[in-house]
Order: sequence, then C-alpha cells, then structure tokens
Amino acid sequence: MTTLTRQDLNFGQVVADILCEFLEVAIHLILYVREVYPSGIFQKRKKYSVPVQMSCHPELNQYIQDTLHCIKPLIVKNDAEKIVVVIMDKEHHPVERFVFEMSQPPLVSISSDTLLSHVEQLLRAFILKISVCDAVLDNNPPGCTFTVLVHTREAATRNMEKIQVIKDFPWIVADEQEVHMREPRLIPLKTMTSDIVKMQLYVEERAQKAS
Amino acid sequence: MVVFMSKGTPCLRDFTMSRGGWRKRVDDGDDVWGGRGGYMAAKVCKLEEQFKLEAPKQQQKEGISSNIFRGVAIYVNGYTEPTADELRRLMMLHGGQHHMYYSRSKTTHIIATNLPNSKIKELKGEKVVRPEWITDSVKAGRLLSYVHYQLYAKQKGLNFNDVCKNEELRPGPSNIHKEFENRVNGTAKSMPDPVTNSKVNGLHGWENLEEEDEDFEFRELEPVSPVRNQKAMDYHRDPPTMANGHAHRSNGALKPLEQTLHSSKSSVDNTQCPLLDRDSIDFRVCGAQPQQHANQNSDAQSNSAHAANLSSLHSIIKLNGAHHLTVQGPLHAKSTSEPSPSKLSTAGLASPHAMARPGEPNFISEFYSRSRLHHISTWKCEFTDFVNTLQRQSNGLFPGREKIKKLSAERTSLPSTDTGNTGPPTPAGPQRRQTCIMHVDMDCFFVSVGVRDRPDLQGKPVAVTSNRGGGKAALRPGANPELEMQYYKRRYMKNKTEETVPDKVDFCTWENPDAARMNGVGLDRTALSMAEIASCSYEARQAGVKNGMFFGQAKKLCPNLQSVPYDFHSYKEVALTLYETLASYTHDIEAVSCDEALVDVTDIMTELGVTADCIASALRAEIKDKTKCCASIGMGSNILLARMATRKAKPDGQYYLKPEEVDDFIRDQLVTSLPGVGRSMGYKLGAMGVKTCGDLQQVPMSKLQKEFGPKTGQTLYRFSRGLDDRPVKTEKERKSVSAEINYGIRFTQTAEAEAFLLNLSEEIQRRLVAAGMKGKRLTLKVMVRKASAPVEPAKYGGHGICDNLARTVNLEQATDNSKIIGRETLKLFQMMKLNVSDVRGVGMQMQQLVPVLRTASIASSDAKAQSRSVRDLLLAQKSKRPGSLATAAPEVVESAECCDRSSTVRNAAVLSPQKTLSTLEPMPSTSRSEPVVRYNGGLHTPHSIKTRLNLSIEIPSPSQIDHSVLEALPAEIREQVEQMCLSRSEETPNGFVTGPESLGTLILQVPEQLGQNSHSGIIVALPELSQVDPDVFSALPAELQEELKMAYSQRERAPEAPDNQQITVVTRNTHLPLKQPLTVKTKKHNKKNLVSPVKRTESPLKNKLLKSPAKSSGIRTGSPQKLIVDFLKYEESATEKLKLETGPSTSGHVPVPQEEASKVPVHQGPNLAGAFEIRDIKALLKEWITSISDPMEEDILQVVRYCTDLIEDKDLEKLDLVIKYMKRLMQQSVDSVWNMAFDFILDNIQVVIQQTYGSTLKIA
Repeated sequence: MTTLTRQDLNFGQVVADILCEFLEVAIHLILYVREVYPSGIFQKRKKYSVPVQMSCHPELNQYIQDTLHCIKPLIVKNDAEKIVVVIMDKEHHPVERFVFEMSQPPLVSISSDTLLSHVEQLLRAFILKISVCDAVLDNNPPGCTFTVLVHTREAATRNMEKIQVIKDFPWIVADEQEVHMREPRLIPLKTMTSDIVKMQLYVEERAQKAS
Repeated sequence: MVVFMSKGTPCLRDFTMSRGGWRKRVDDGDDVWGGRGGYMAAKVCKLEEQFKLEAPKQQQKEGISSNIFRGVAIYVNGYTEPTADELRRLMMLHGGQHHMYYSRSKTTHIIATNLPNSKIKELKGEKVVRPEWITDSVKAGRLLSYVHYQLYAKQKGLNFNDVCKNEELRPGPSNIHKEFENRVNGTAKSMPDPVTNSKVNGLHGWENLEEEDEDFEFRELEPVSPVRNQKAMDYHRDPPTMANGHAHRSNGALKPLEQTLHSSKSSVDNTQCPLLDRDSIDFRVCGAQPQQHANQNSDAQSNSAHAANLSSLHSIIKLNGAHHLTVQGPLHAKSTSEPSPSKLSTAGLASPHAMARPGEPNFISEFYSRSRLHHISTWKCEFTDFVNTLQRQSNGLFPGREKIKKLSAERTSLPSTDTGNTGPPTPAGPQRRQTCIMHVDMDCFFVSVGVRDRPDLQGKPVAVTSNRGGGKAALRPGANPELEMQYYKRRYMKNKTEETVPDKVDFCTWENPDAARMNGVGLDRTALSMAEIASCSYEARQAGVKNGMFFGQAKKLCPNLQSVPYDFHSYKEVALTLYETLASYTHDIEAVSCDEALVDVTDIMTELGVTADCIASALRAEIKDKTKCCASIGMGSNILLARMATRKAKPDGQYYLKPEEVDDFIRDQLVTSLPGVGRSMGYKLGAMGVKTCGDLQQVPMSKLQKEFGPKTGQTLYRFSRGLDDRPVKTEKERKSVSAEINYGIRFTQTAEAEAFLLNLSEEIQRRLVAAGMKGKRLTLKVMVRKASAPVEPAKYGGHGICDNLARTVNLEQATDNSKIIGRETLKLFQMMKLNVSDVRGVGMQMQQLVPVLRTASIASSDAKAQSRSVRDLLLAQKSKRPGSLATAAPEVVESAECCDRSSTVRNAAVLSPQKTLSTLEPMPSTSRSEPVVRYNGGLHTPHSIKTRLNLSIEIPSPSQIDHSVLEALPAEIREQVEQMCLSRSEETPNGFVTGPESLGTLILQVPEQLGQNSHSGIIVALPELSQVDPDVFSALPAELQEELKMAYSQRERAPEAPDNQQITVVTRNTHLPLKQPLTVKTKKHNKKNLVSPVKRTESPLKNKLLKSPAKSSGIRTGSPQKLIVDFLKYEESATEKLKLETGPSTSGHVPVPQEEASKVPVHQGPNLAGAFEIRDIKALLKEWITSISDPMEEDILQVVRYCTDLIEDKDLEKLDLVIKYMKRLMQQSVDSVWNMAFDFILDNIQVVIQQTYGSTLKIA
C-alpha cells in the first residue's frame, strides 16, 4: 500500500500527470465542441469511460502536447493558477475563454488507491460538462482560432526560463489584447474538490460574439 | 500574476480555408465529403494518390528505385533526423508509403526519435521505430528488421518482455482483414500492406526467438537473413495475391490461403531439391513461419493449402531430425479445421483411441467416461452420498472406536504413558468440550496408488500422467507451441510485474524464466509433451516437478522421472477403503475429494477419552494396513487449522496444532497456503505487501473487504487469525449443476455444434435428476479460440489460448428438462454468433437450484423426513451432541427454502448455526414460537408488544448478527433477516413520522438501546438535534453521521414544525472550529430577535441560528430528558465501541477509519446557516422563500455572504446552482419583494465576481 504525501517528490508529478492528461482530453474536446476545427479531424475515443473527441491532426496534436509538456512543470510546482483555452475570432479578439482554475490543497497524505478512482469520476464529470457546454454558450463566429494561456503564480517566470522543456518551446507574455475580453460573461461549468487538486472550470464568453 | 501564452497557434495548412466557407459548402447540399469523417477520408485518399503520382517522378528524377519498403507505410511523428520530408522522399524512392495522417489500420510503422510518455502509452501496440531504420535499410539495400530500431526498446535491449509485446501486438491477419473492410476508400495502394505486415512480423518474431536462443541452431541463419527477407517479399509480387488482397470481405479471407499456397508450393519445391543446402533450410524457416500466421486465418477451405504446408513442415522435421530424440511419426495431411483429433496420430500418445468426434452423439458420454477430472468430481459426490447413507443406517456402533478403546486401555494400563503431544488422556478435562477436526489426506494419492503394486518404483520420482513417451510429442500441424508458451509466459510476466514485492509464491510452471526459456528452445520441431502431471511423488517434487506441470517439461527437470498411467479402478478402490475406514470411527465426515476428508473427532474423544493424536495414529495405521498407501493427518480446532496442520504433517505423518500454538504457527504461514487464496489473490496480497498470515493480520478488515469484497475480505481476516467457523458438513448444498467439455472440441458445422449442445443439455438433465434438483438460471459458457492463437493448440485436443464467453438466461421456472434447457442453450448460442470452427470448449451450468419436491422420497425415508422438520431438529439438538447441530444447519436452511413459508421455519432459518448455539441454548423452546406470532401478526398489536420481550433476546440485535453468517445464508433468508430487523425498528414507536428506510438503517446502527427502551414501553424518538453533543456526533463514523443526518432531514421535511430542521445545527456544531464567526453572529441575532416585536414570521434561516445548543431546552417530542441523556450516553459508548472494535461483529458496515471523519471539515467550505450540501441549501432556501413573505435584511445578507464565500472558495458551480435556484424561486414568488431581493443578491454577487474574475456571471 503506497501512500503519498505532499512532500513526496513524486506527488506533484503524479498530480501533474493526471491533470495534464485531463487537460489534453479537455482541450481536444473543447476544440471539437466549440467547432474550432472541422469535426472531420476528430475521432471518437474513450477516456474516463466516456466518449470524447480527439483530433487526429498531427500538428494540432503536437501543439497541444507541447503546450501541456511545458505546463506540466508548472503544475508540478503548483505554480499554474489558471490554464485558459482562449478561442479567438478572426481579429484575434477572444470570444470565449475556458478557464481551468486549479490549486492543490495542502494535505498530509493520501493513499494512492483511494484517490484515483474518485478523481477519475470527478474528471469524467468535467468532460461531460464540456461536451454539453454548447447548450449554454452562444455560437462562435466563423474562422476562430485558439491559444492556450497560463496564468502563473508570482515568480514562476524565472523558474520557467530554467526548465529545459520550456526553453524548447518558449512562452511569451500574453498580449493584453488576447487576455482582455469585452463584456465578459462568466458561466461556471464544474468544480471539483479532491484530495489532490481543487479545480474549477468556467467559461468566459463575450457578450456580443458576432462583432 | 503573469499570463503566458504559448508560442502561437499551430498553422494548420490543411485548414486554411475558413471554417465558414467549408461549412457553407456542406450546407449547399453538395456534401462531397459524405458526412463526418468523410472530409478526412477524402483528404487522406487524395494525399495517397498524390504520393503515388509523385513517386515515379521522383524515382525517375533520382534515377534510383527499389522495392525495399514495399508494403511498409510509415508515419513520421514529431521531429526526426532525417526530416519527415526526407523520409517521405526515401519511401517514395524505395517503394514504401508515407502517411501524412496516422491511421491505425494502414500505417505499419511510426517513425520517431522522441516521444512523450503519453504518446508512447497511446501508441502501445504500434511499431515505433527510429528513422535510422529507414536510412540503414536503404544503405543495406534490403529491409532490415525493425526490431533493433524500436524506439522504446533501445534502452532495455531485447529482453523477454519485448518479445512478448511484439507478439501480442502483431495484428493478426484476421484483424487486418477486418480493417480492410472498414476502409472507406478502396484505393489500391495500401493493399499489400497487411500481407507484408504479417509477413514481416512473422519474420521479426522469428528473429526475436533467434536472439533468445543464442546458443542454438538458428545461429547459422543469421548471415542469410537477407535471402530470407527477399523470399518473403517474393510472395507479394505474385499478382494473384495482390488481386485478391484488393477484394472485399469474402476475398479477403481467401487471400492468406492463396498466399499459403504459394509459399508452401515454393517450399515444397525447395525441399524437393536433393541438396539440402543452407539456403533451403533457411527458406524453410521463413516459409513456415508466415504459413503459420496465415493459418490463423484459414478456415475449412484451406485443406489443400495445408496439405502442401504440411509436407513442407514434414520435410523440415526430417531435416532437423538429427537434433531430436524422437523420430516423427507419419503426419497426416489433415487440416486443423478437421474436427477429429483422433486422425492425427501423435508420437507421444501410446494408444491413440479412436475418440468420438464432438458431433457424434456418444461423444459426451465417452468424454465423461474418459475424463479424469470428471471421475474425481463424481467421486466426491459419491462419497458424500456414501457417508450420508452410512449415517442414516447407523446403528450407533463404530467398530473403529472399539479398537481405539482397546488400544487406549492397553496404554493406560501402562504406568504414565505420555504421548507427549497432548498429555495423558483426561476424559473429564477441558479437552472434552473442545472440538477437534481432523483432516485426512492421502499422500500423493494417484502416485501411491499407482506404485503400490510396483515396489520397483517406490522411492523413485514418479508422476502420474497420460504420457508414456520420453516427454516429447510430435508437433501437430497448425500448432504453434511457442506462441502459446509466450502467451502463458506473458500472462505470468504480467502478473509478475504487478507484484511490487518479490515473492516466492509458487508460479507453477513458470517458476524461473530460465526454465521457460529452455522450453522455448526445445520447442522448435517437436513439441514437448503437453500431458499434464496429475500427481507426482515426493521424490519428483524435490526435483522441482509440480502437479499440473506439463510432462515434457517435468522430464527436463527430472530426467529419470517415471510415468505411471492412470488407474481409475484402483483409485476408487482405495478411496472407498479410506472412507469405510473413516466411517468405522465416526460419521461426521465431510468428503472433500476422493483422497481427502474432514472428520470431526470431538465425539470420539469425548466418548473414549483419548487424544486426537491417538486416534490419528490408529487411523493412519489402519489406512496404511488396508490400502498400502500412506495418509497424513492434520488436526486442529477448526477446519482451517486442520488443513494447515496437514501441510506440516506431510508426508506420512500427523500433526496436532494445539490451540496455544495456533498464533505462532499461523503467523509464519504463507498467505497462499490459506484455502481460497490462489495465485491471483496471492499477487494482490503480495502487492499489498502481505506475504505471511502475520502480515495479513496487520491489515484491517475494512481494507481487506474493500479489496476483495465483503465476504472474502472477512474470511481472509478471520483465516489469518486461525479462525474458521465452517462446520464439517456431511451434506453439502449444491449450488449449481454443470457440465463442461473443453477437450477435443472441433466443430465444422453449426449443426454439429447444435447437436452437441443438445447432447450436453441431456447430460445436464441427467445430472440434475441425479442431484434431485431443478435449476432456474442457465449459463452457457463457450471457449473460443483467441483470434491470434494458432488453430491447433500445442496440447493434443486441448483448447489452447481461448477467450471465455458466457451468456446467462433466467428461465421462467426451474426445470430439469433437457428439451427446455436445450432450446434455451441454442438460443444463447445463436445469440453469440460465433464461428463454430473456433469453438474450443462448451460448458453449461444450472444455478438457482431448487430441490425437486421429493414427496415420495420423504415418505420412503422416514428418518430423513423427521429430521427435516425444523422443530424436531432444534429439539433434537438439545439431546444430541453439538456437532450434529452444526451439520443440521444446512438442512434447516434448505427446508426453509423448500417447505412452505411457515413462520416457524422462517424464524429458525434466521438463526445462524452459531447463533443457534449461543443464543438459543439458554432459552426454553417455547419462546421460539412467540416471535413468530409477532412477525406474522400486524405491527403494533398488543400481542406483538408483549412478545417483543422475547424477541429482543431471541433475534440478536442487528449489530450482533455475525455478518459472515448473514452473508452465508441464502439471499432469500438474508432478506428476511434484514426485513425483520427493519420491521422491528419500525415497530419502535416513534414520535415522528419517519420513512422506514432512513430510520431502519439508522436503527440498524443503534439498535440495542432502542430495544431496551422498548421493553419499558417508553417512547423513544430521535433526540432533539440540539441535544446531540457535537463532539460525539463528529466522532461518529461518517456513515453513521450520514444516516443520522438523513433521519433528521427526513424529519425536517415533516411539514409542521420549522423547529425541526436542526440538521443544520448539527452539522454546524460538528464543525465548530470552522465557524467561529458565525456563532458569534448567532448570539447577536438572538438578542435582536428577542427584542424584535415581530415574532410571528421568524425566518427559517434565523430559526436555524436560534437553535444554538444553549437555547434548545424546549423539547417538543415530549420524551423525558433522561432518556435523551441515555441516548447520548449510549451514543457515546457506541462511538467508543466503534472506535475500539474493528472486530468482525460490528465492522460489517462501520469500519470507518478515524481520519476520514476528521477529514470531513476540510472538504466542506462555505456554508449557509450550517448547510454545506447543495441539497440542504436548496431545502433551506426553499423554505425561506416560501414561508416568508418579507425577507429580513440580515438573511439576505447572509445569503450574499454565503455566495461570496463560494466565490472565494472557487466553487462557482455551486454558486451557479444556488443562484439559479434562487432565481427560479424568487422570481416565481408573487411578492415583488422577493424579486427585489434576488436582484439585490445578484448585484452583490456580480460585484464580487467582477472583482475576482473581471467578468460577470451570465444568468440565463
């Protein structure tokens, strides 16, 4: 019986693995649900025991993976506060933001087998929410693109430069234009509280998407 | 905060067209893409065409072209050196394919230099190869094995795991063909892929093998491998193959045949060459291998191909004859789909009986007349019956006992003979009361019977097996022993890797990889005999031979191993003698198997006043004398210990496990030696770090139950402590009747299979009738050859690697009619839609047995009918010895099922055997009938109240019920027990109307006190919530808390009293530390309210606050304060008890670790007047909004604060729900005040959200 404690070097890694895996699925699904890419490039897969859509475009997949690869060290250190999938219109003004807000609660110890199935259930709930989120969102204007933003905690910037993987895939400070959204409307989607992470997902949507 | 974005959006050059534009085209109705996925398919198709067009040009340009990569389709993933473009060019030049998009079905190799872990996992099952493979192959001018270039095998080197993986992952031809069908675009391009794929794979698999047997003959093949490859490639150039490959489903099946034909033809050619040079040997190897793969897909039509195939194989064998001891017998050119294994004569089988084919009607009866297992299993029933008959006819005289009496008399006449082990016989001592179970087990039964008339074999390693040759058998066509070996090994490996703790658990044949490897080496031409060893002598065991091992392998371990044939006649004779001997002492015998029995000797010991050891030695001497075989005897106070002791006693000895030794003894035992702990459980336990029973003792029961299920967990828990309350059962209740055949099943036609099933259902009928049972649930089990498994398993007539499928149907009524069973079976079988030629085993099982009403038999056997009356049984117990009580228990249960549902029965059945002993004994038998009246009569009749006095003693309070016992009871009876508990709790008069569910479960937890109160006739209710000590409450296990909460919330829903909603108070108090500020506020409110003149419309929210513990003196239930105090006290004590006691009696449902309870507050953040759960909050809000027409400002503010807390707690989801709920309720409300209130709340929330998130909530 293995138990993990927060102090374990391993722990952050485990959490990061779980989250990145989830984020990858979530990003793909968001791109599908929000119709950023034609549905033809998506294949149906199964994850967390529910059907999800996964892009099979290699470059897109690579991009998502590279992005997550860089986010992972931040999550390990609990430095990432929010991970945002921004959907932008043709003028590169954000129309929707899927915000994964996460924090890792301080905790003494957890046992590995209690948490995993539980967490999977919670993550499944997220996935299901995402797949039906188009019900509460307005349609996006045509020709959308997307990008991924990371809101880091304080001094993570400095650290980021040091980490090799991130060097290979450099990040830039986001433009105000890409962060700021006019008249955002917030739609909460899902919140989870588990031993390893507390995460909530909400969507910020521009009030008038067409313009 | 710093916001980062990644370098940029990926430029998707294929999707540069605007999404809108694309959609428009679709909308136009000109749907060229054919729906979802069509676009991509079309694109891929186009890319492929482009590639094809480009290829010749490119080749012309460069002036080189080759077909090195014919059939190889690569997909470049990520950065590579050389680049993807360069690789694409290379593929073009050398006849390969390059895929822009990865497709699981078409891409044969993935080229990558670096893959993230997740990718690797995702691509498990694909061949991921480094780009050097391409370049090197080009350099070498031939297709090299990709194995050396595998991306994630490179660090590890080629170990066995890798080999396994490759084998496993290889798409079998059948799969490929399926994929073929699925393909949308039927462009000719990819057509040869699957073929080469399998080919190439076959070769690689072979190469892997080569590397494994470094020391073996394949060495010589290494240098000529290009030739081999070349040869393999040749087949693909054959135009017919290609043409076929292009076809659809039906043709797809034909293709491999064609191919086989080709390959075998050429191999025949080769072998006909007089000069058997290296080249031809080499060719043979490569020719045979793909054939085998092709075989996997072949069906009945492949006879001709097989004939050729076989001839090539045959020649191979001849060629390699020098390497082997056995000269091959004539190989019949029978295809594997031929269902009659008898046609295939194997060298290992001495007397090839002409076995009936499965299609023939007498197959089943013949099968059963031959099957060893069948023999043994029937014997057990026979012996059980035998013991029963003896018991019934018993005249109370036991000749054996007389003997012992004499013996002990002689002994006692001698001055102070101490047997040492148990001390002098003290008839009146405490030993008399103590039960003693004896486990009699013959030492390697089959062997000792087999050699008893052959003194020459005694003391030599001997094994009983059907094989009589030198441990070798001919390799039958189509069989692929390596594959099977690897399959088994892989399974073993998988299990092994699961194990975190290196363990010495017995892995049967795969004990050490070396041995396995050795087998792999030896398997090239002649298969080792796959005859299993049924039993082996201790001498053989010392050499490492184990029961169940294949004989061929055993022979390797122990070269002078002698084999002895089965001798069923003698087995039966010896077994019968054994049982007769035992029966001459006592009739408390449980037949475990033909050579194993459990005997309850308590009786003899009390009667004769001798020790168990004394009885054991007498028994052993007698058995030895009569049968010439040795028996070992283990003794202990229960079955478990007796069995464990036998291990120590063996061989030919006896061991009495004294009660005081038990603890030490059991601690050192391996868990795997516990009955019921097999391999898989052993692994699981090993993974938990449990090796010995001592380790197991450290594991809390809750964990075991979580891991293994409630029942097994508890059993483990008890077993590890040497506890075992199973009685010695002379008559076992049958749970199922089944017949299963998985040997020699080879059907060619559906009709054959169906006829076979009908025959099997007749067999089932016979067995059901013999057992006097009818079954209600029918299960059909079918073993189907695994898609990738060879057609012919390595074991002659065996089933090989199979998938097990099962279908179950519930019949309308229990039946033993073969017609009904047969009909249903056929339905099930047809539903499965199987390919009959792949069926390797069929089994049928009837469950949910009900005894046939044996009116006749009851009448005929008076004695039995007598004992079936429960009351008599119970009465008889008093006079009879306790042992028989235990044995009678199953009968009680059984009679409860078959007799009418008379209350007497019900009541009796409720009592488990143990309880019968402990609770019934002191009671006069009259009291037994009283609760019955209660049960049948309506609730709340005065009568029932009167009888409750008895009842509460009679039926142990639910918490006292031994859950293992409860579980052991048949489902029906268990339900009744539970109902009884429920109904009892319902009866407990209660001031409040509470749903039976909640109260019922609640009472299950705290029944004792309630029960006691009910004696005095005082009404007990749930105490005022405010009365519940928060500390006590929080200390309660979470489940209990939950239930209490439920009960209270139930009450809360009772319309009348708003003051009943104390659930919130409880929870609040429970988590006092969290809410310090709130309680302060409460006081303020109280004051304010007291001053406030408007008393009528107290808001529920405030009510909640008012209900602080200090203020709760007003008890509305009218129950005396004292009682409540009692209750609390009880709760306290109960809590303590629960804390202390994790023992079996309580922990059935309350094994809650403390930390879990303490963790609860951590999870729960903001609360509204103490409510955390959305359900509670909704209830609260609803009440607030519906009952009040004029909301108070403080209440609104409190809601706002709660919402703010939620925002801070980052629980927007809940916030959203709360707001939506409020919106719905408040805007519905007729009072505009509420509308205003909502707007106010919302405005406030939006402000906070704006501050926190920079946006506002979208309110739909």
